[in-house]
Amino acid sequence: MSTNSILLMKDIDKYFFGKAANDKVSLEVKPGEIHALLGENGAGKTTLMNILYGIYQRDGGRITWKGEEIHFDSPREAIDNRIGMVHQHFMLVPTLTVSQNITLGLKSEGHPFPNRRSIDEKIRELLSAYDVHISPTDKVSSLSVGGEQWVEIIKLLYRNAELLILDEPTAVLTPQETKRLFKVLEKLRQEGHSVIIITHRIPEVLEITDRVTILRDGRNVATVHTSETGSVELSHYMIGRELKTISRTPNTVCPHEEGLGLDELAVEENGRNVLGPLSLSVRKGEMIGIAGVDGNGQKYLAEAVLGVRDCSAGKVRLLGGDASSASIQQRKDMGLGYIAEDRQNDALIMDMDMRENVLLRMYSKREYVKSGFIKYANVDETAKEMIDTYNIKTAGIGKPVRYLSGGNQQKLILARELAGSPPVIIAFHPTRGLDIGATEFVRQKLLERRASGSSILLISADLDEIFALSDRIAVLFHGKIMAVLENDGNVDVNYLGRLMAGEAAESGSDSRRVE
Amino acid sequence: MERLKTALSYILIVVIILSLAVVLILSVGSDVPKSFMSFFRGIFGSLYGFSEVLVRATPLILAGLGVSIGFRTGFINIGAEGQIYWGAIAVTTTAYLFPGLPALIAIPLGIVAGFVAGGIWALIPGYLKARFGISEVINTIMFNYIAINILGILVRTVLKDPEYPLPMSSKLPNGFIFPLLMYPTRLHLGFLIALIAMVLVYVLMWKSSPGYKLRVVGLNQRASLCSGIPVKKYIVFSSLLSGGFAGIAGVGEIAGIHYKLLEGFSPGFGYVAIIVALLGKNNPFGVAAAGLGIAALQVGSLSMQRQAGVPASISWIIMGSIVLLILARSTLLTFFAEKEKEKKV
Ligand SMILES: Nc1ncnc2c1ncn2[C@@H]1O[C@H](COP(=O)(O)OP(=O)(O)OP(=O)(O)O)[C@@H](O)[C@H]1O
Ligand SMILES: [Mg+2]
Repeated sequence: MSTNSILLMKDIDKYFFGKAANDKVSLEVKPGEIHALLGENGAGKTTLMNILYGIYQRDGGRITWKGEEIHFDSPREAIDNRIGMVHQHFMLVPTLTVSQNITLGLKSEGHPFPNRRSIDEKIRELLSAYDVHISPTDKVSSLSVGGEQWVEIIKLLYRNAELLILDEPTAVLTPQETKRLFKVLEKLRQEGHSVIIITHRIPEVLEITDRVTILRDGRNVATVHTSETGSVELSHYMIGRELKTISRTPNTVCPHEEGLGLDELAVEENGRNVLGPLSLSVRKGEMIGIAGVDGNGQKYLAEAVLGVRDCSAGKVRLLGGDASSASIQQRKDMGLGYIAEDRQNDALIMDMDMRENVLLRMYSKREYVKSGFIKYANVDETAKEMIDTYNIKTAGIGKPVRYLSGGNQQKLILARELAGSPPVIIAFHPTRGLDIGATEFVRQKLLERRASGSSILLISADLDEIFALSDRIAVLFHGKIMAVLENDGNVDVNYLGRLMAGEAAESGSDSRRVE
Repeated sequence: MERLKTALSYILIVVIILSLAVVLILSVGSDVPKSFMSFFRGIFGSLYGFSEVLVRATPLILAGLGVSIGFRTGFINIGAEGQIYWGAIAVTTTAYLFPGLPALIAIPLGIVAGFVAGGIWALIPGYLKARFGISEVINTIMFNYIAINILGILVRTVLKDPEYPLPMSSKLPNGFIFPLLMYPTRLHLGFLIALIAMVLVYVLMWKSSPGYKLRVVGLNQRASLCSGIPVKKYIVFSSLLSGGFAGIAGVGEIAGIHYKLLEGFSPGFGYVAIIVALLGKNNPFGVAAAGLGIAALQVGSLSMQRQAGVPASISWIIMGSIVLLILARSTLLTFFAEKEKEKKV
């Protein structure tokens, strides 16, 4: 079996705080193979890859790479052995250019004064060979998340990686970008590279991979050939049961009362209009999906509603009252739940423990803070409840959230922001990085909130999610709403795609419809 | 394994420091065992010596607590020295204005005045940072010079004692003077205040909601903002607290030691306080321990100078080396680990 494998990880053990994150896990990858690593949040996928890549040291087991037993003490050694990894949370330096990021840590020709121009040229060739439209001289901070992903991948190719490890690369990509990524992976496979890809999306697994290894609770469940399996079997392997399909019932709560209203809202950045003016009214018990390619003003929209960004014109109404001049704190106290897009920067304090992260939404509530003193007992109790309800896998509420797996960090944010039944919710990529079981659970939670009368603004790059959950779909392009469509089951996906690409709405639908 | 490495690295630091001390002592031609003996005898040999450690530690702990609060919130306060000076000016001025007050009112009033004055002196750079993004590091340093010279002017003009030709104030009225805790040593009320402050800072930072917010702001400003914490206000608040505790240190030196305002009453307590905060890892109990440790080092060196003829200035060399080694410890650890691996290959 292992005769023609390029990588063999055998019986890998890894313990954190006495708990096994990997328990005798094995993984075999063949040359020129795209191999999927599938499993619930906290199943140990990232841990296994970090061990291979030299970030963590294993507590047991063996790794054979190209027939030789190896042990990497740092990513540097892994790279020297032509193994490269793109992390779940990118590790680029935003203030540097694309090319500087790609060569970071390398001793390029002419070191310590490398010839930037010739390096840039080389990188430009690489970028165009893979059909990536980014310039080597762009600042990374000016790129979209999808763009950053490309930089990470090109970085590995520039270092001649033979095996590429991609940790949830598609979580932050639009469907179009995912398609392009898969084309590139296809090409890499033809060139003889091997790829390990972590993803929660079963259709993607079926589309691109040759074989799948499934982990659950840090153990191997199975390894199967993709051609011999299907989505039902895979979800069974993953979560041990079948998925329920989510059903949305009509909005019966208060179809005429408004929860969140935007009135000719506009945002400027550096004197340039980046959002609106746009108007939208989310009624109580209604969920409006914002569809659009990432980077078309979604971030400005969310931030303007939350209040971290000033609007240059227009109004934000919360529960009928004008909240335009209210502070963020006041908006939150009025009952605004905010599921942030960038969990590590906007939502969590990575070096604080779970209880203190829970407190971040609770510190203005009597129950948790009395005459200035924090009632840690109550915070702990709430945190524990959240762990139970949301099935968050953690080594303890006293451990820094940095140690939570990506999906579990997201669960923590959801648990916190949905606590106390907020009447208005901004859900910005709410299921990004969640496994299928957790995704189903979160969508169910959002629908529950909707059924009990919350107004929800769902901003998502996942069109399936938008179709499954929203009552109406607003299409955002270049900061403007192209159309608001009734999600009655008859929305033409191609038409929606054209709207997202900025082609004008058909006659009859007003480009800025106010309801 | 990790723990063993940590322990070993600290042992290594102790060894390096001891060898350095030996070399320094030999280089000035003194006797090594005698010097070490006199060092420890200076600290533990007498009640007076030991009390001197506590006396020296008092301003270091207070100002160190202040600096640590700033550091935790991301307000890099290099200006404790200036804030100490303002605490001193404030208590003297208050005493001049209300000379007849009984101790029960005068002492708390003096402390509050010192806190407010030191706090405001730090609050200005704090506000400039929060409002305009101007570096507080440079501003607080510059404010040190201003404060020191303002004191110089005051003791020559309005606060000057007319009976003496020297630039200093007259003696504080009795009500304002801190009682001694252990006559005949110089140990005064300030030490107790420092201990109380230590507990207060702990409760504030880890048990109260404002302290929680200060720490959150220090760790992630963007997430603080998104959660609704008015980040700028909290930076200003932290600068106020930071300077306030340094201000109390100044009050203690005047009301507990000198009994009058004079130039140069602080031999750089405000700067050493930064080291104290760093060594104490910005934890109030750590700060107290670091303050005591550095005070002991200084007191011991003084005794070494008296009894063995070793210049006390070597205590500064030792102190600098300790800080350097502790800060470089983690970097050195990884460096050596890599070296080892290269050898293996
Ligand atoms: N550095 C660490 N310290 C402590 N515990 C850790 C650490 N890294 C991971 N863990 C724990 O190990 C378990 C597996 O984590 P891992 O990140 O491998 O999960 P994952 O399969 O990648 O999940 P996700 O899909 O959510 O990213 C989790 O319970 C996590 O809390
Ligand atoms: Mg992961």
